[in-house]
Amino acid sequence: MTVELQHPMKPDATPEEIARGRFTSGIRSLILNDLAADMRAAYDRRAAPAFKKEHDREPETSREAHQALRGDPAFNIYSAMRVQAQKMVWASVADSVEREADRLSHEARKAADAPGSLTLEPGLDVPKNVHAIDVHLMPGSYTRGADSLEAGAVYDRGLAVFSMGLMGANLDDIGLSMSQYIKQRFPDFAPSRILDTGCTIGHNTLPWKQAYPDAEVIAIDAAPGPLAYGSARAKMQGQEVHFQQMCADDLGFEDESFDVVWSSMFLHELSKKQRAKAFEEAYRVLKPGGLVIHMELPPNEQMGAFDGFYLDWDSYYNNEPYYKGYRDEVPADLCKKAGFGEDTFFEFVVPSIGIYGEEAVAEAAKGDRAEGVGQETTGRLAEGVMWYGYGAFKK
Amino acid sequence: MSGEKLRPEDAPPSLYDDQGNARFFADPAMDRFVAVVMNLAQEVWVQEERLLALEAEKTGKSADPEAKVKEFIDRVFAPIREA
Repeated sequence: MTVELQHPMKPDATPEEIARGRFTSGIRSLILNDLAADMRAAYDRRAAPAFKKEHDREPETSREAHQALRGDPAFNIYSAMRVQAQKMVWASVADSVEREADRLSHEARKAADAPGSLTLEPGLDVPKNVHAIDVHLMPGSYTRGADSLEAGAVYDRGLAVFSMGLMGANLDDIGLSMSQYIKQRFPDFAPSRILDTGCTIGHNTLPWKQAYPDAEVIAIDAAPGPLAYGSARAKMQGQEVHFQQMCADDLGFEDESFDVVWSSMFLHELSKKQRAKAFEEAYRVLKPGGLVIHMELPPNEQMGAFDGFYLDWDSYYNNEPYYKGYRDEVPADLCKKAGFGEDTFFEFVVPSIGIYGEEAVAEAAKGDRAEGVGQETTGRLAEGVMWYGYGAFKK
Repeated sequence: MSGEKLRPEDAPPSLYDDQGNARFFADPAMDRFVAVVMNLAQEVWVQEERLLALEAEKTGKSADPEAKVKEFIDRVFAPIREA
């Protein structure tokens, strides 16, 4: 199913566009649930035994599972269809975004006086990984249409098709699940200033403002268009958030000025060097007692060869060049290297609040890592998804 | 823009064609055909959804398009299951 966006910039789509979106969501569901299960069966039945015959042992890493699967009919059909379905996601929304450019600007202007702000830095050197490749096969990447609303509209409308309903009605399930988890697990923690790094359109920023309404919430991204769109979107939804164009590895904020530094599905889009710097910057701007908290794909070290490769697939075939490199890193080490005390590190799996409900999130918050990371449902956008996260406090 | 190639460090060049597109089948034409079949199925569904709307208008009874699209996709793509 395609999610209906919850604000006035939602598409005024033609019946054909609605049908195209519905088909794309439906075919993705077939691929990510049924064909994924077929590929797993083929791996167990054919690919892994063939690997074992050649190497005298089972595939042990994501890379070896990839090697074993390359050329297998189930892998081929899953992969070729997933690539095309990804292209169909963005194609299914391109026409309506182009046609409605003027209306979107008009809607954004109407909301301009609502609380919140947008600060762009035209002189900012937008990093190559943000503009020079079509990230997740999204034509024009995050800088499509420069600082117009185009890239944000493509992303928002595309995510509504892409997510098959698994990212929530407002595409905020990750932010809602994670912020509720933190609130329940640390009931005395009361942040007054929260920073979201790599926010794109702020869809997972807003839940933090909802969880901590008295906090000042600032959201940054390197790409201007999604920020402009995100600012309008937040204002339309009555959430006061301050959007600023800035890179996470070069924060223009004072030392010890935030209580929370958050990101979702962001770190895997940074190079190893940028990522290490982003962690250092988060440490620098956090106050003592402040929390760094990231939602991401679970790391390879905690998954079997096949499940690890299943996620790493995007790195090779979905224009996510840093995805595998990130997943090969160890979250606890990333935090430790940046200065966070080892004893303050925690990682967890949160059931999607939209699928499993508030009580399930509260239950998870009561027990440390109640759900194992290694499960198929962790981090996979498919039926029954759960989100992986980790954090550390600055002493 | 899409001409730029950033790849994971361990990606062998054999994973991609000379334009940088991912390739999976021994015959590269197959990669294209899979995409064509998906596009065609999508276009047939678009027509199907328009027909459903017309029929609903005529009979006053509307079908659930989400359930219908699932049936349609399952039926059309049945031959590729358990490849």
